[in-house]
Amino acid sequence: MQVHSFWFLYILLLVPMLIFRVVPLLVLKHRDLPPKVRAALGLIPVAAFSALVASDILQLDLWARDPARGLVPIAAVLIVVPVAQKSKSLVWSAVAGMLAYACLSYAVSLLG
Amino acid sequence: MSTRKDIQEALKAAFPIMLGYVAIGIPCGVMENEIGIGPFFAFFISCTFYSGAGQFMMSPLILAGTPLASIALSIGLVSSRQMLYSAAFSPFFASVRKRLSVLFAATVTDESFGVNMERYSSDGAWDERKATLVNIFSMLSWATSNALGSALGAALDLPLDVMSFGMTSIFACLLVSQLAGTTAVVVCTVSFIAVALLKLVGMGGIAVFAGALAGIVAGLVFEEVASHAGA
Repeated sequence: MQVHSFWFLYILLLVPMLIFRVVPLLVLKHRDLPPKVRAALGLIPVAAFSALVASDILQLDLWARDPARGLVPIAAVLIVVPVAQKSKSLVWSAVAGMLAYACLSYAVSLLG
Repeated sequence: MSTRKDIQEALKAAFPIMLGYVAIGIPCGVMENEIGIGPFFAFFISCTFYSGAGQFMMSPLILAGTPLASIALSIGLVSSRQMLYSAAFSPFFASVRKRLSVLFAATVTDESFGVNMERYSSDGAWDERKATLVNIFSMLSWATSNALGSALGAALDLPLDVMSFGMTSIFACLLVSQLAGTTAVVVCTVSFIAVALLKLVGMGGIAVFAGALAGIVAGLVFEEVASHAGA
């Protein structure tokens, strides 16, 4: 890719990203929001984390190649959940998740 | 001005994100190196565009010869969830100066959104300065790791899937902390199902944004029905 094309792409990516990130906060911050909107904003964290986790663990390309491999992220996150509940620690959850994922992937590769 | 205590608290809160960003930032930098992005530019992109998903998507799409408009559209759709994060923070920034609000909003990511939301809900003393510091520390970790990855290039062979699962685990931990009450369970279930369906029909690009929206709508409907049933 030529340098000027890359800069053009960079601008095409940067401008919408800044709009997505900045405009809603600036538009809504001075408004007295109706209760329904406040309730909706309060539900964003749980909805966003659910969607992010679902998107990460439901890897259809892995399923298509090998269903056992497709199960690895789902099984690994099931191991993370009790660790997260018990430790309430992001670091321990990440460590447990990576270990579980690595061990399960290794086990699946041995079986395959 | 931020005090030393603010910086220490923000650094402590940002630490898990920073570690995770080292783990996935270096492989991202390696991929950027493949399309000719050097360490300086990798650092610059990571500080301005600052999107893990976007930067990971960029290299393979460019290498595959995808038209610029298609690359921009694909990454733009994935980035659309940022609108939800920005809106969610608006009540906390009602009386905050515009310049700081813009700096904060421009540096929010999935991970810093989660950590700052958790801090705002559990720590009454959490404020915009600490929240912005969390964003800045996370961004510097991401940018430095990208630059390092770009400098080392293909000399590194890292298990990207294992490392990126560290971030998935962080999202799972943040989700667990939010799952209190029936409404949250409804939101979570509907978001999961919506994301699965969207991915099944080939709309993975908007799955996170649309899945989260579906969960929010379901939660509002559930609260409405529950309040009428209880009335």
